[in-house]
Amino acid sequence: MKPILKIQDLVVEYRTHEFGQKVKLAVNRLSLEVFPGEIFGFLGPNGAGKTTTMNVLLGFVPASRGAAYIFNVNVREPIARQRIGYLPELTYYYKFLTAEELLRFYARIFRIPAAEADRRIDEVLKLVELDAVRKRPIKTYSKGMQQRVGLAQALINNPDLLILDEPTSGLDPIGRMKVRQIIQRLKSQGKTVFFSSHELGEVETVCDRVAILHQGELRAMGRVSDLEEKYKCNLEQAFLKVVGYEPGL
Amino acid sequence: MPAPSLLFGLLCSVCFTLATWLQPWHQSWAGSRAQSGSLLNVVMGDSRQLLANHFLVKADVYFHSGYYPSIFDQVTRGAPHMATAKDDHDGKEDHDHEANEESGFLQPPRDWIDRFSRHFYPSRHTHLEKPGEAREILPWLRIAADLDPHNVGTYSVAAYWLRQHLNKVDEAEQFLREGWRANPDSYEILFELGRVFDENRNDPERARNVWELGLRKWHEQSARHARQDNFVLEQTLTQLARLEEREGNLPKAVSYLEELKTVSPLPDTIQLQINELKQKAAPPSAVKGPKSP
Amino acid sequence: MNNALAIASVVVKELYRRKDFYVLFVLTALITLLMGSLNFFNDDKIVRYLKEICLLLIWISALTIAVGTTARQIPAERENRTIFPLLAKPISRGQLVAGKFLGCWLACGLVLIVFYLFFGVISASREHQWAAASYFQALWLHWWMLAVVVAMALLGSVVFAAPSSNATICLVVILGILLMGRHLNQVALQLAEPMNTVVYAIYFALPHLELFDVRDLVVHNWDPINWLVCGGATLYAAAYAVFFLFATWLVFRRQPLA
Repeated sequence: MKPILKIQDLVVEYRTHEFGQKVKLAVNRLSLEVFPGEIFGFLGPNGAGKTTTMNVLLGFVPASRGAAYIFNVNVREPIARQRIGYLPELTYYYKFLTAEELLRFYARIFRIPAAEADRRIDEVLKLVELDAVRKRPIKTYSKGMQQRVGLAQALINNPDLLILDEPTSGLDPIGRMKVRQIIQRLKSQGKTVFFSSHELGEVETVCDRVAILHQGELRAMGRVSDLEEKYKCNLEQAFLKVVGYEPGL
Repeated sequence: MPAPSLLFGLLCSVCFTLATWLQPWHQSWAGSRAQSGSLLNVVMGDSRQLLANHFLVKADVYFHSGYYPSIFDQVTRGAPHMATAKDDHDGKEDHDHEANEESGFLQPPRDWIDRFSRHFYPSRHTHLEKPGEAREILPWLRIAADLDPHNVGTYSVAAYWLRQHLNKVDEAEQFLREGWRANPDSYEILFELGRVFDENRNDPERARNVWELGLRKWHEQSARHARQDNFVLEQTLTQLARLEEREGNLPKAVSYLEELKTVSPLPDTIQLQINELKQKAAPPSAVKGPKSP
Repeated sequence: MNNALAIASVVVKELYRRKDFYVLFVLTALITLLMGSLNFFNDDKIVRYLKEICLLLIWISALTIAVGTTARQIPAERENRTIFPLLAKPISRGQLVAGKFLGCWLACGLVLIVFYLFFGVISASREHQWAAASYFQALWLHWWMLAVVVAMALLGSVVFAAPSSNATICLVVILGILLMGRHLNQVALQLAEPMNTVVYAIYFALPHLELFDVRDLVVHNWDPINWLVCGGATLYAAAYAVFFLFATWLVFRRQPLA
């Protein structure tokens, strides 16, 4: 099976302005593959390089070395993003637009015909349960509703690959549950989901495979059950062992 | 009572006490602008005069339909004329002056941008000459007078245009009276007011009164200051002499001309006029010459 | 072009849903009407001062809207993080820059149409004539000047971190050009070398925005400008707008977003 997402020897370096330290290594020789229909959890402590990797996949940050491909197209090409949906962490969408207008704007960028766009807007707004408030300006939405608008925009083009950056961050338990349900529904529709999270319980529930990143390097990758078996513990303890955290120190 | 409310009440009391204490002092303070009846004076203070000059220049710009030198041009070419030489615009402009202006403050274009840019602003010398067009300068003169009521030139210029070109004699008189109230010692305003009475109202008596008052003001100020504006004195004396001649008071006309001769740059011409008047005033026998014994 | 137009439509929506434009229009209308109600020597045919005041307010409002709206576009996208879902779509940074430019410029065009219609009504109510060609030229040239201003502010928004500093710098530069641009060659002549050459070089390099200020011609009822000259000015503005947009793209295309 051909991977839908492929990262090869990816290196990302940042220039810092600190005295005596000109270059900081954010991601070091990262390689991984995600296959169609998979839900792939991208784990790591803060500063591990997860968001940087996602930024490279989306073309926001150039790779210093190595390469990344989505649907076999180099991520530097805008067309690579035609069949993906992206939900960034903590985004405040154009508050002067309504949810419907926001989705129509994004649909236009994907060149979705008007009739098809209307159908998709209805569909995704129902999916994220914002159909009733579609004509209200986004500025009147709660944080959870804004996050669901984000999810709706990520789904507007009916993407084959979803990249979600901390999709449940800042949400209350009901909001988290709703987002988790949506991800599982997407999985049942055969979508591929690549997402980062700190919520290991959530990852354990929904992910087929996970990768654990620490200090820019890939420390472990595999099925959740395989990792639990390898480290003889649950995913949370396995994660702590992989990143070298020893309780009591 | 909760503490914040108590504190608020206390602060109100302090403010009120301070206000009652400071108010009488502020009323009697010489530097208080609040004593002025004019809102503009309260708001702007002495900066009004700067702005007034700007608006006076603005009136001149309007007189030229926007064709006017910038400060950069004025450095090399000098400023135009409306405010200073108002009588020149009575259809008999000085030709040298006009020719100088026609060549303009705009020198030949120095580069393509300079040449190109001349399409986008007034670059031809012109005056407001169509009937009634001169009204467009009036708002700026009015504002200039409001901002600086002590600039008598503003009243003279506005009155000239109002009565000579716009047939608004009442407004001219009213404006001059306003200027006179603000500048009770101004012989310039009295001179203009005399012209209104003489030329527009056909009221030589009142014209004579204000011109004579203007003459007295001039002499009073001449006694106080070394340098005086001889131009207005000449104009007043000329007008008075003409008026008295018209009214048949030839000796009085002669006396005004005698005074005029002392300040005029053309004393010989004035002497000729004096001789003419003296001839008119002399009895017919005196004209014929002495009889032989 | 589709992507640029999509972004532009959002910018235009932003303009008419924010209060800035309405506040400035109401202020302009109020001040103009207030000035129009003044009585100068019982003459109700005086109109040029009113035209001048109205046009001055229009210029101030349009510049404020153009610079204010443009300066916050890209920084607001970064601050609210909407730039991430936007650039995660099949859209290039060049298209984003073009869309923002187009949106701001079209929004300015709409603003100018409303303002100049008001101006036309005010002047026609006193002059009882409609100098349509002159008014159209004034609007057209004003709009093209704003193209340069918008492109300049867009470049500033990817160079300077804060929109407020960008807006301030842009306004200072624009006002400097409007007031001094035409006279820099005269200033240069009065300077010794090497300042003479430096000032002359600046004179030729900077966009002469004052070319597009034909207020004096409109106020004093001069004849319309030759249409060929008007076309030349349009090309001149287009060239500078493209230059600034290209520079914006050059800076923005490699700028890390994260």
